[in-house]
Order: sequence, then C-alpha cells, then structure tokens
Amino acid sequence: MNAHVSSLGDAALSLLPPVARFNLRIAPADLAAAAKAFGVDLPTRIGQGVHQGARSAWCLGPDEWLLHAPEAEQAAIVAAFDAIRPSAAHSLTVISDREVTYGLSGARATELLTTGCPIDLRRIAVGDAKRTVFDSAQVVLLRDGSQDWRLEVWRSFAPHVEALLTTAQHELAAGF
Amino acid sequence: MTDYRVAGRGRVDHGKPVKFTFDGKTVTGRAGDTVASALLANGQHLMGRGFKYHRPRGVVTAGSEEPNALVGITRGNGRFEPNTRATMQEIYSGLTAESQNKWPSLAFDVGAINDRLYMMFSAGFYYKTFMWPRSFWDSVYEPFIRKAAGLGKAPTEVDPDQYASRFLHCDVLVVGSGPSGLAAALTAGRAGADVVIVDEHSEMGGTLLSEPQAVIDGLPAWEWLAGAVAELDAMSNVRRMTRTTAIGYYHQNMIGMVERITDHLAMLPENAPRERMWRVRAGEVVLAQGAIERPLVFHGNDTPGVMLSGAAQTFLNRFGVLVGKRPAVLTSHDSAWHSAFDMAEAGAKVAAIIDTRDVVDAALHDRAASLGIEVLTGHTATATRGRLRITSVRVNPVRSGTVGAGRWIDCDALLACGGWTPSLHLFSHTKGSLHWDAEAQVYLPGRKSEAVQIAGAGRGLWGIGAALDDGATAGAAALRSLGKSASAPSYKVSGDRIGTGVFHKELPTDRSPGRAKAFVDFQNDVTAKDLRLAVREGMKSIEHVKRYTTNGMATDQGKLSNMNGLTIAADALGKEAPQVGLTTFRPPYTPTTFGAFCGYHKGAQFEVTRKTPIDGWAETHGAVFEPVALWRRAWYFPKSGEDMHKAVARECKATRQSLGIFDASTLGKIEVSGPDAVEFMNRMYTNPWTKLGVGRCRYGLLLGEDGFIRDDGVIGRMREDLFHVTTTTGGAARVLNMMEDYLQTEWPDLKVWLTSTTEEWATIALNGPNARKLLAPFVEGADISAEAMPHMSVVECTVAGFPSRLFRISFTGELGFEINVPARHGRALWEKLWEAGRQYDICPYGTETMHVLRAEKGFIIVGQDTDGTITPQDAGLDWAIGKAKPDFVGKRSLARPDLVAPNRKQLVGLLTEDPKTVLIEGAQIVDDPNQPKPMKMIGHVTSSYWSEALGRSVAMAVIEGGHGRMNGTIHVPQAEGKPIRATVTTTQFYDPKGERLLVE
Amino acid sequence: MLLIHCPYCEDTLPELEFAYAGEAHIVRPQDPSALSDEEWRDFLFIRTNVKGVHAERWRHVNGCGRFFNALRDTVSDRFVTTYKAGEARPEPETLEAAE
Repeated sequence: MNAHVSSLGDAALSLLPPVARFNLRIAPADLAAAAKAFGVDLPTRIGQGVHQGARSAWCLGPDEWLLHAPEAEQAAIVAAFDAIRPSAAHSLTVISDREVTYGLSGARATELLTTGCPIDLRRIAVGDAKRTVFDSAQVVLLRDGSQDWRLEVWRSFAPHVEALLTTAQHELAAGF
Repeated sequence: MTDYRVAGRGRVDHGKPVKFTFDGKTVTGRAGDTVASALLANGQHLMGRGFKYHRPRGVVTAGSEEPNALVGITRGNGRFEPNTRATMQEIYSGLTAESQNKWPSLAFDVGAINDRLYMMFSAGFYYKTFMWPRSFWDSVYEPFIRKAAGLGKAPTEVDPDQYASRFLHCDVLVVGSGPSGLAAALTAGRAGADVVIVDEHSEMGGTLLSEPQAVIDGLPAWEWLAGAVAELDAMSNVRRMTRTTAIGYYHQNMIGMVERITDHLAMLPENAPRERMWRVRAGEVVLAQGAIERPLVFHGNDTPGVMLSGAAQTFLNRFGVLVGKRPAVLTSHDSAWHSAFDMAEAGAKVAAIIDTRDVVDAALHDRAASLGIEVLTGHTATATRGRLRITSVRVNPVRSGTVGAGRWIDCDALLACGGWTPSLHLFSHTKGSLHWDAEAQVYLPGRKSEAVQIAGAGRGLWGIGAALDDGATAGAAALRSLGKSASAPSYKVSGDRIGTGVFHKELPTDRSPGRAKAFVDFQNDVTAKDLRLAVREGMKSIEHVKRYTTNGMATDQGKLSNMNGLTIAADALGKEAPQVGLTTFRPPYTPTTFGAFCGYHKGAQFEVTRKTPIDGWAETHGAVFEPVALWRRAWYFPKSGEDMHKAVARECKATRQSLGIFDASTLGKIEVSGPDAVEFMNRMYTNPWTKLGVGRCRYGLLLGEDGFIRDDGVIGRMREDLFHVTTTTGGAARVLNMMEDYLQTEWPDLKVWLTSTTEEWATIALNGPNARKLLAPFVEGADISAEAMPHMSVVECTVAGFPSRLFRISFTGELGFEINVPARHGRALWEKLWEAGRQYDICPYGTETMHVLRAEKGFIIVGQDTDGTITPQDAGLDWAIGKAKPDFVGKRSLARPDLVAPNRKQLVGLLTEDPKTVLIEGAQIVDDPNQPKPMKMIGHVTSSYWSEALGRSVAMAVIEGGHGRMNGTIHVPQAEGKPIRATVTTTQFYDPKGERLLVE
Repeated sequence: MLLIHCPYCEDTLPELEFAYAGEAHIVRPQDPSALSDEEWRDFLFIRTNVKGVHAERWRHVNGCGRFFNALRDTVSDRFVTTYKAGEARPEPETLEAAE
C-alpha cells in the first residue's frame, strides 16, 4: 500500500494509497446544501482547507472544491450528492483515478518542492491547499504540516514529477 | 619557469601545492589559486590568442570581466567546457586546461598571419572583404569564415553532468560581497529580514581581498571580513552563496543566478549537480557590484604583460603572486599608484609610474620617492615591445597637446589604469535609466524601475569606508521599503585608498594613428581605428558603430570596451558621450552554460512524456511509439521481421476480419454537467443536442468563432444534465480552455460546470466483427445486443467487474465499442480482454492502423485533414450543423463572404491511377502538369495510406473546388520522375453504406 | 517573470500560473446573425494594439482557473491593475485614488 518511492536523508517521498477524490462545482449560494451532503463545513476562502473526521475539503476556486474521503465512502458520497441535485444544482465528478498523490515529509521536504514550484511555499498555511505548477505539470499542493505535504498530479504527469523529485532528493541527500 | 610567488602574501595556502596541466605541461599552483594566478606565479602571462589576428594575448584582469585568458577545461567522460575564464577557474589536482585559438602551439601560431593581413579585417570587414568574386564564396570565403569563426572548440560529446534548479523567495537579495554588499547584508540580516547575499568568486570580500592594508573599526580588513562572514553564517535568516553569479535581473525583482557547485572540485561527488540555476524573487535587491577598471587605449596595449593595475594588486594581495619583477605603471588614476607601491613593497623593482596627468597628489609623489620609483607625469605611452611578453614600453611627454620624443623603458609587466567604470549591468537589465555624470565622466544609476538599491562603487563612490557606509544605508533603505526598520551602522576605516582620476580616448601618440593597433575590445579584436573608420563610413548611432565593428559584442559584453568605445566614437562624431548613447546590456551577465538553463530537463526528463495506464503493456509487447502532443502512443506492434508497412497491413486486416484492440486513453474527456448543460452544448458545438436522448451519442463538431474547424469527438448524453464529451488527444486542454472561456466570460448565467476526466478513465477500443462476442461475457448491468445497444449509444455498467462507461461507437467502420474504466483498472481490463480475445485472434493495433482504418472510411483527423482554414462545408461535414439553431460558436462566420466564396479548398478523396502508388502526405496538387514553373498549385494531399482492405492506395486531399471535381483528374508533381495522376473521388472508400456496423 | 494579482484568489503570484487570453472588453454580440459582415469582421479580428495601457484578459489557469481582466502597460510590461471578468474597465482616476 503506502509504497515508499524513496526515503532519503531529510526528505522522504512516497506514493500514497488511493482515496475517494471529487471535484465539486457549485454556486457559493448553494454551498450549505453541499456541506450537508458531504458532512463537512466547506471552506469559502480560496486555498482554505477544512478537515472533519476522515473527510477533507479544500476550496480551489470561487466555485470549486476538492473533496477527499476514504475510498469505501465514494459510492455513498455520490448518492448523497445525487439526492440534493434537484434542489441544489452542482457538478460532482469522481476524480479518484485522475490524480495520484505523493507524500513529502522530512526536514527538507519544503526545500525539495522548491526545485519545481515557483510560488512562495511559506505562504501556504498548514491545512490549506494550492493549485499551482511543479515544473511543467499542474499540481495541487496540500500542506499537512510545516514539513509535510501532499502533491496531487494528473496520473500521466506523475512519472515526470516523480523523476524530478527523486533526482532532487538525491541532490539534497548528497549535501548539495 | 621563474617563480613569481611571494611567500607569506595572499590568501592561498602556501603549504598546499596543487598540480594541474596547461597545454599538456604540468604547472604547480597553490590551493586557492585560479588558473590565471597559478600561471602568473610561474611567470606565464601568455594564455591565449586573439580572435581575428591571433595575436598573443595575456591575462588582463583578475575577474569575470576577463576578455583574453579563455581556456578549455577537460574533466573526462565527455566533460569539456570552452571559453572558461582562467581568472575564475579555481585549480584542483589534476585539472586539465588548454589554450584556445592557436595552432600548432600557443607560442607559435600559424593563424597569426592574419595579423599581417591587418588591413583586410578592419571594421565592417564582414560586409566588404568577402563580396567578390562571387565564385569565391563556396570555395574560399565560406570555408575560411567557418574555420576562423567562433572562440574555442565546441564539445563533441554528450555532457554527462547533472544540472539543478531552484526557486527562492527572500526579503533582500544582495548582489556582490565587497564592503558595500557585506554592510548591506549585515544591516538587513541583523534586523531579522530574510537575506540572500551572493558573490561570483570563491570567497566573499570583493575589494577587501585585494586591500588587506585597510583597518575597519580597529580590525585589519581580513580580520573584519572573517568576522562579518562568521556573523552572517550565524544568522539563520541569512543565506550566503559564493561561486554564484547573478546573471540576469528580470521583472519585479526576479533574479536569475547560477551557482557553480563542482567545477572547483578534484573529485566529483555522486549525485552532485554541476551547476544550479536559482530563480530568486526578492522584496528588495541591493546591487553592490562595484566598479570595473578601464584599460588605456594605445598601440600595443594587447601585448602579454599589459594588464589592469587593479588585477596586479589582486594577484599580489589575494593570490601572493607578483605579475612582474620589473613592472611599469601607466595610469590616469591614483589607484594604480597603490598597485605600484604594493608591488614595490613585495620586492618588485617598479620601473616607472607613468601618469597621463600633469598634476598628481603630492602624497603619492612622496610615497613613490620613498620607494625609489621614477615618476613621469604628463606622459603618454605610444608603443610596446615584446611578442609573447612585454619587454619595454615607449613613453613620450605631452606638453600643451604636443607629443614629444619617445623613450623606451624596460619592463616585464605594464600595469595600466584608465579609471573605473561603475558596474551597472544588472541595473541596465531592469531598464532603469542611466544618468551621465559630466564631472565624473561616468554613467550612474538614474531613475529606478524596480525595488532596488545601488550601493558603493556601483554608484560612483570611492573607497572602502564610503562603500561600507553606503552599503549599510542601502540595507536599511531596503528594509524601510519593505515596511521594516533597521539602523545603518557607520564604519571607521583607516588605510583607505581614496583617489581620483581622468578618462581618455586613445592616448595621444607621435605616430600615425592609421597604423596603430590600439585595442578597445580585446576579445573581438576591435581597435580605436576601427571605431573611427565606422564613424567615417557613416555610422552615427553607437548601436550601429557597435554592430559594424562588433565592439562590445564578444562574450564579455564589452565590460572593458564599452566605455572606451563610446568615448572614442563620441570624439569621432564630435559629440558628448551622452548624446551618442550607450548600448544596452542584456542578460546573462557572464556566459552561462546551456546546462544551467536546461536544469533537470535532459534525457528522459527533457520534457514531460505522458503515458497511458496501458503503456507498459504496449512496451512489453514490442510497440513502436510515436509522440502525440505530450503523450507517447503505441504507433504499431511489429512482429519479428516486420517493418511498419507489414505490421500495419496485418493489424488492419486482423481488425477488419475479426478483432482489434486499441488504447484510446489519450482522448480528451470533459464532463459537462448542470441544468443548462444541453443549452451550453447547443451553443458550443455545431450540432443540435436537445433531442439527443440519454444513453445516445453524437459526433460533435467544434468551430472557432471564425468558422473554422477546431476539434471533434463523440459525445454521449449520460443524464439529462450530463454530457460525456470526448476531444482529440492534442485538443483536450485547448477545448476545455475554450469552453471555460465562453462559460465564464460570455455566458456566466448558465448553470453548467466543466471538469476534465481525461485521466480519470482508461479507454479501450474494441473493433471488428467479433467485438461484441468478446465483450458480452464481461458485461454486467447492461444488454449490449444489437437491438438493446444500437450504434452510437452509451451505457453505464461493469466490465470484468470494473465500473464502466461503455460506448458503442466506431472510428474504423467495424462494429466497435469503447470501454472507459477508472484509470487504475485500465491495464487489468486490457489483459483480461487480451487473454479472452485469443480465440478471436485479437490483434493489438496502434495509431497508424487507426489512421488507415478511419481514412478508408473518410473520417477526418482534425489537424491532419484540417489546418485551421477548413470550414465544415469544406470538409463535407455540413450534415453536422444544426441548421435550425439560432446561434453557435462560429455560425455567423460561416456566412462571411470568403467562407461562402466559390473555389474554396475542399476535402476530397484521391485514387491514384496506379493503385500501387502511395502519395506523399503534404504533396502539392496541380491541374496541368505541363504548365511552366512555377506551377499553380490547387491543393495538397492531407492523408495517404496503403489500404490492405481495398488492395490499393487511398488518399485524402484539399483541392480548390474539390466537391465539383468528382471523377476529374489531377496531378501530383514529384521531385524526381513523372507527375502522378489521380482521380478525385468521395472520401468514403470502404463500405460506404456502413453495412459492416450491422453485425448481429 | 511577472507577478500577477489574481482578483479571485486575492493573491499575487508568479506568471507561470497564468495564461494570456487576448484583448479584454470585446463582448460577443447577443445576436451575431444581426451583424453586418463588416461589424462581424471587426468583432473577430480588429484589435487596438495599444502602446501604453492595454486592457487584456488573463486566465489563472494553474490556480483558481478564472478568466479575469487586467490593465497592463505594453511599454514597461507592468500590470497596472487586475479586476474580475464582467467588471467595467477602471478609470484612470480611480486607479490613482487607490494608490
């Protein structure tokens, strides 16, 4: 499961197991209905994350949310949103397989990301998220701790991103 | 070789000898030496040959502005770098350096014949010398230019090194670590700001490394420096970077910096990148780049041994090397006097101090007298002697503008100083304006366009004390701009060398200026005479003078030559320097390796290669791949001994006869969802969507607003309010962007949302008469019989237990299904179908077979059969237009005069007269093959294949008025041989009635 | 590399997250079929190409995904201001007042 790609020096990189992942689009006016369906108070500031139990939601755009839940709950969540569709128009798209998720941790995990991320990572608060780029791939960064990150990237871009991170990880481990 | 090392001087480790080779000879230096300082320590000034005239050249500077001492460095395994500055390359045990532009040897070079042909290479010789006779171009001139062009040799092997890159954000970036840079970094760092300070040299200190005599706040300069460095290192908010060059200053305080990581190491550590490109975004930048010494322009000023006085001082004080035992000094500035004094104190016999000025500070005269140095004021230099090293300099008195009789002074080095130029290269990158200081005769920073402070000698200040105070002030100012506060300390400095000077055009001479070889640009071999000739020949702007003469266009970007060039050109034009202007400095500040720019993008990571979930299976099964957009796709699956033609013919045949399996995962997929989804679809696509039932599919055609075809794909209606849209592989991102654009900015009132699901699904296409037979046993939750699931329908079910969106569609003309399953299951499903398909001789096919099969049916590929100028009518797709719809993207354009004009190029089929002839895609088409050239071309071939099913070739083409030419004959001229005749047909070559879809 | 302020994210971010999307305030006509050929031509192709402050569209494609408008000086390349799609082009006076 939690297959380690590599754990080297001060920055470990691992491919995380699948989760139930959704792209939710809904008018902010209808957000309460979606929050009820998902069982999590959905955040309203772009970048903000909210975590309740095993479910998480991050606001990625003015009417866009990324939802995570345990895999086993995927069908139930789809059904819950189906139930509110007549009263609260929205789009809930399963994207569990669209992306893969890498975990980055260790004292230099943030530095590892600076090999490909142009943004100032210090400005992402713990618990929040940011859609941005890593090298030439679009990614979503989820910050779990000061040196704990998840990086979600479209499946076909993953080998490229992983290869770059691994190269950079060896660079860090070698003291450069 | 004679030893020029001075024991006890400098910062090199005298106890650590380091051996390296230069042109094959072993040279011993000291740990801490550069190639240049080590060679000088061994008495060698000759380090290269000139670019045009191949004249012997020696080292001129001690830094990155060096124009002459360029060497090639070899490290084995393909590692070779030309044009490395010997003044910047640190030595290590085993370093292999070689000189450039010489043959057979540095001391005797055949190419120096060019020096005798001097007149041939004057300004603008590129435009004159090679003009006639015309027949000489191929046989004489071009080979000559090719042999002569370029500096150094290009590497011949693949560079095995890794290169890295990094983004960095900070409050204050300080460029340069001389006194002003250090003071700025200390000030900002102590106030708690995130500070980065960089220097291109191996250690920090700048001028302080060359001026150990100064005393700062009671401490000798080097002690103070060690303390400052230790204090910076102790601050966790300060990052101190050496061997790092700020190469470019870009918008909004983005600075590009290259860090050289391994070039100074004898052993290359594993996983160490050679260089790293830093992209720094700084709140404030402090430029503390100092000033660059200006050479003097006189006949023979390029003889080895003639060098800048500040460089001699650096070689002595930083590296412990006397550049000569009997040096002479030629100067127009006080600073060179100190170089003479330092050298005299270190044991050199200074031959003379020759100053162009009539009056010089008495204190300097007194000091010279006390050291027994002859002083000649009001003098000029008119020639040098010595070919591989200077032996004497000819000096003449100048009285009231008249040059008197010359006298030769013996010397083994000539330290020249023509004043100092503030280094404003990076500031110029920002498009900040430069202000001409008429009194100081220098350009200084003017209006700023970035959040930048310029400190120290970079803004014309002179002396360590002034630089320290100014740096501290700049550091505090930077913090104030960031809304923080810092106090700028003041420094007490004694032993400072504060001086003044004047600038010159060419030095006055008693000889014919027309014969003078007085060099302005050493690297491009441009003389003062060339600049004056350029002006005489009509060049008025400094930009024209620069390009005509190539002054300042070498790899040093005119660090030494621009101001002298400007002064001389202004004199020739009879104008003041600011009226003539200054050429623009551009990044990079110093030559930068391609590797640093590429970073991690080499080898397999050269660019993103997107792979489908089934890619691994294709690779295992011998697929040949082709790139499609960023994807790599299986192109064909050759069996042993098959070429592409044979493999594709077999794959086509197997699919049409029984069953083919194809990985269609790269197709773009977009979820269009929401109550207004159907309205949105009606507006975006040409087709009508309202009446499309849930569970049915339709071919969708997307135009640009200009009426031309942009994309196409099959679209399924999953729910009343949900469409599963497919796009072309290459068009996926573009189509989604276009849809978002209309939705967000034109129709924000529509309640509909778009989500890319390209990578959520793996897509497997089954085509052939046995497709349903294979598939049916795997399907649960749906009836896929011909009655229950007609052509162009879609159903949600499970396939082999995987949740699936199953389409019955066909891009081949055979009974076809496309199975979408969550991407992680793609390969497992493929393998199950593959196993079960053996009973039907299932055949995996690639994109080439897909192309052939669709061409046999006349299905277009957007981007191959269309080129951005093809309308639906042109492509014969009028049927896909919802004529009753009031509007859709591109509809209005279809009525534009040019789009309804007769004789537009239209898509047709072509059948060659000889069925075995396969036309070349892209070939031009003419009506009459016998017309004179240039022929009128009426169209071109867009698709062309061998059709195994038809036993002949088929092609598609766009031809003027093509739809009206049915059964007519056209001709396709060939590069060699007769034009090919072909008949115009419809594009439906195979099974035009579509009967093969009706498999029960 | 420019820094661009996204009016939706209310954050200033590297240009690498953004894509240029042509001139701003060119509204697609409600009823294109009512336009003359010349009017439609102007809508399709005629652009201002100013030297100076230019109203243009950008998309925060590697961020919140929104299209927005910007005033940018084509001489200095600098962004003067950015604002949400659908909002009126800011007048020069309001810009100065905001500073």
